[in-house]
Amino acid sequence: MAAVSSVPARPAARSRRRPSSVSAVSWGLLRWGTIALALLAVLVPFFWLVSTSFKREVDYLADPPRFLVENWTLAGYETLFSRNDLGHFFLNSVVVTLASTALAVTLGSLAAYTLARARLPFKLNGALAFWMLLTRMYPAIATAIPYFLIIRDLQLLDTRWALIVTYTAFNLPFVVWLMIGFFEEVPAELERAAMIDGCGAWQRFTRIVLPISGPALVATAILSAILAWNEFLFAVMLTRTEAKTLPVVMAGFITDKGMLWDQMTALGVVTVLPVLLFALAVQRYLVRGLTLGAVKE
Amino acid sequence: MASVEFVHVSKRYGRVEAVSDLSLRIADGEFMTLVGPSGCGKSTTLNMLAGLDEVSAGEILIDDEAVTGMPASERDIAMVFQSYALYPHMSVRDNLGFALKVHGEAKAAIAAKVDRAAAMLGIADLLDRKPRQLSGGQRQRVALGRALVREPRLFLLDEPLSNLDAKLRVQMRAELRLLFDRLETTVVFVTHDQAEAMTLSDRVAIFDRGVVQQVGTPMELYDAPANTFVAGFLGSPPMTFLEATVADGAAGPMLAGEGFALAAPAPRDRLRRGQPVVVGIRPEDIEVSRDAAGHPAATAISLVEPMGSTTIVYAPLGGKLIAIETDKGTDLAPGDPIGIGVPPDRLHLFDPETGRSLSA
Repeated sequence: MAAVSSVPARPAARSRRRPSSVSAVSWGLLRWGTIALALLAVLVPFFWLVSTSFKREVDYLADPPRFLVENWTLAGYETLFSRNDLGHFFLNSVVVTLASTALAVTLGSLAAYTLARARLPFKLNGALAFWMLLTRMYPAIATAIPYFLIIRDLQLLDTRWALIVTYTAFNLPFVVWLMIGFFEEVPAELERAAMIDGCGAWQRFTRIVLPISGPALVATAILSAILAWNEFLFAVMLTRTEAKTLPVVMAGFITDKGMLWDQMTALGVVTVLPVLLFALAVQRYLVRGLTLGAVKE
Repeated sequence: MASVEFVHVSKRYGRVEAVSDLSLRIADGEFMTLVGPSGCGKSTTLNMLAGLDEVSAGEILIDDEAVTGMPASERDIAMVFQSYALYPHMSVRDNLGFALKVHGEAKAAIAAKVDRAAAMLGIADLLDRKPRQLSGGQRQRVALGRALVREPRLFLLDEPLSNLDAKLRVQMRAELRLLFDRLETTVVFVTHDQAEAMTLSDRVAIFDRGVVQQVGTPMELYDAPANTFVAGFLGSPPMTFLEATVADGAAGPMLAGEGFALAAPAPRDRLRRGQPVVVGIRPEDIEVSRDAAGHPAATAISLVEPMGSTTIVYAPLGGKLIAIETDKGTDLAPGDPIGIGVPPDRLHLFDPETGRSLSA
């Protein structure tokens, strides 16, 4: 040992060849430039939304536009809350989002588990999975009129149920496809061990597969919820007054007399907030869920 | 405690026959090892017994009761998987108690059984950890514990040692044998490692390409292999096979090949002159003579491998490199001329066409 330690340490760091400084600098520029561009693209509209909601009319209509608010005001928020029954519409959005997400995740993960594990006859697994995806391949507007008529005949127009059913249907293919991928990552031997331990198919699913897939379920649920929360086209089509959700209310500020930017942006902020807080709270699961299986533990 | 019987069992995947016409009886309390190279059908056989794979034809009996269509969950067997298959979201304690919980046992009874199994395996201090916080050897013990807790009538072990490093594997091998000696339960053990098969088992069934080649105690198989596959599979270094022809010698029939002649084993009357045979020689049966000049099987050493307790020497003979086990203090060196002799009763003779033993 003494002989080893007496060998003088080589100044390895200094003698190692550095990449040429020009290329290092240009790589750095490229990298940070790209990140900055991506951040700008995401944050500037958001900043514009938030700042506009605090501007006076003269400021948000100014030409050239004013980026920074000099005299900020809460007037937009005050009008928004005093003139609209926001609580009711907020509740609509919450109920519709939670119910459709819960339904889509429950039904979707059951379907995904079957498609991932069972060997259906006539190679139906692939056909069924593809068929579900097919429902997302045409623009939703293509089915708008028949869909409206169906919902009308079911007497569900302007009810929360109309939107719950619609969003569940929208989100199902998405949940199924995401969850098939996650379930296929669950080692088959775990389920074989559970079989030996006395579990039937249902117990294997609820006691082994679902708990392991927790992060994936959370990630899928978040993405479904955001989709339902922000959906506009079907919400505006299927609701009148009672079952309106926040995006529909927001669109209502485009009036024949002009755009009520202050209220619209204020509601925009109010709508973003719960999703933002929720996403921050479960961010850990989201990242883990979306990268599940990418790295072996 | 249970006996197991396979009656003409086959398993086909499409057109591939993974196991063909298997008939095998495993006695109550026996430690039976299914051994063979990968893809030989041993794991498929175990999975069929567990109820994880369906049987294509034939019947499987446990305690003389047909279980062929019975789901795995109802067979009252425990299994240890090669990957251990511990439930990653449960603590060690919950992993051990899971089967009992599924079967609706009382909490207190589960706790008592889990504690006892944990003590038996020396993992009592790990009970609150999650599987990912355990080393390979610890996971292995938990997997074993999960099987033990059940007190099943049958233990199935699928390559349970092959994910351990070499040193730990040998240690766990001995522990396994002690453990199952104490439990006196029927065990079916699957491995590709001939050393595990030899050391652990009461009896061994050797598989190749879906067919059982021979069943017997380890020493029966080692001493009287039924064919060249069994002979070559058991033993390390393996038996050397030399091509030879039966010829007349001064003291009776000889086995003559390329550059060697050896006295044929008794009984000699079944050997015809000119008959081609395959001669199997185990490394430890060879007697080395320093007097190579004029020796009927003369060669020169090409390689010396000291193993510690013994030394393995390699020399070319009959177109092959023959392995010879010698004492550890040997002064044989590469290039030394030697003569090779084998006591006739230690030779194994096989039919070159079928590979079957001619000794039986």
